[in-house]
Amino acid sequence: MEHPLIDTDVHQNIPAEAWPQYLAEPYKSEVAAFGPRRFGYGVRFEDGGNRWDVKDPAGRSPDIHPDLMTMQLLDTYGTRYALLTGTKGSVAGIPDVDYAAALCRGFNDYTIDVWLRADPRYLMGIFIGLGDPALAVQEIERLAGHPQVKFVCFYGATTIPFGQRFYWPIYEACARHGLPIHLHPATTALSANPATSAAGTASTYLEAHIGVSQNYQGHLVSLVLEGVFEKFPTLKFAFVEGGFAWVPHVLWRMDKEFKGLRHQAPWLKRLPSEYVRQHIRFATQPMEEPTRPSQILPFFEILDAENLLIYASDYPHFDFDPPEILPRGLSDTARRKILHDNAAEFFGLR
Amino acid sequence: MAWQLFSPLDAIVEGKFTLVTFGKRTIGVTRLRGALHAVLNYCPHAGAPVCAGHIQGYVTSTGPGQIGYDAERKILRCPWHHWEFDLETGEGGCAGTGRIKTYPTRETDGAVWVDI
Repeated sequence: MEHPLIDTDVHQNIPAEAWPQYLAEPYKSEVAAFGPRRFGYGVRFEDGGNRWDVKDPAGRSPDIHPDLMTMQLLDTYGTRYALLTGTKGSVAGIPDVDYAAALCRGFNDYTIDVWLRADPRYLMGIFIGLGDPALAVQEIERLAGHPQVKFVCFYGATTIPFGQRFYWPIYEACARHGLPIHLHPATTALSANPATSAAGTASTYLEAHIGVSQNYQGHLVSLVLEGVFEKFPTLKFAFVEGGFAWVPHVLWRMDKEFKGLRHQAPWLKRLPSEYVRQHIRFATQPMEEPTRPSQILPFFEILDAENLLIYASDYPHFDFDPPEILPRGLSDTARRKILHDNAAEFFGLR
Repeated sequence: MAWQLFSPLDAIVEGKFTLVTFGKRTIGVTRLRGALHAVLNYCPHAGAPVCAGHIQGYVTSTGPGQIGYDAERKILRCPWHHWEFDLETGEGGCAGTGRIKTYPTRETDGAVWVDI
């Protein structure tokens, strides 16, 4: 049965030549003369990160051409809404917080001008620098209320776990405006990461990308145990592109350890896992692929995937998942909720 | 339920459990700020001898970043995994921990009795 679709991870970009128009001085002149600052990832992406079949005969790429994106993704899959999540996760690794804020502002304005106007099905998240919460709040205040602005972008590359009070001004603004936070990996922004795996710095994109779940575990545990969801009872987080098979392990472990060490998080009024079920959702892509495909179904049941997962394609990146990636054996109700209903409720999409 | 002679009163130590076995059950009794407390020496989590744990107050909070301490509450923490149980009620310190078994006590003629 066909279901309506909400795609929670679609990557738009900005062409290099557009930057000067969207940056304020002094960065406008700087970028016009020297181009955007380069940030050494230090690892090799897979040929720029995109699928090999997405450029049209003229060599145009869908991440900087909305008409192509619309045709290849939205019209092909019947996407009701596509959440634009950008390609500037490296902003997390920019130590100059003023430059990062200018970059985010320019990228947001470009997205509004070019993408949101191209099709009402495109919804965007506000890019913010995470190094200066006051500047981040300014940008949220500037753009909250736009009818196609539906969330705020976070990047999983930081030296400060997300539960800590450093970020709370951002959470206050998000909660006040009803904007969920959309967490996407940027673990390969090496300068923002003390380590791209819990064991140390990964050597390759392959290693770092597998390690996203480690990064996410740290953030999830921090968010719950530091009491963020007690302080901001309406705040919501979407954990995107970090997998989900690891979630039961962390929930079980949090609940178990909390029973003995409750005094280290005395502000929690419920078991930690209950906060996750109420406030956090996990995106499907990249879908876990066990040796025997049917082995994924017990994980769906354990996680209560029917209620906690939201579909994401990651288009046009090379590890794209079509909606057909959901496992066989899933009920029609579960399929509909994961492909559409859960995201509609979470992001407030009518 | 029946009242059983537990021990002479002077065998009970402030803040530490004195253990007596009745059939298959071992019961611990201690005195805290004048009041006697009797509990089954068995943690509902993993069967640990809960009376070998520590007796503390209860860490409280009115919200994130706010930490208080209720020194009046009497919390027995299991020696194995440090789960918390209220000595007055037997209730666990958070959801999912169940409760320990508690018993009524009384003092009569220099002896401690427990209603088992």
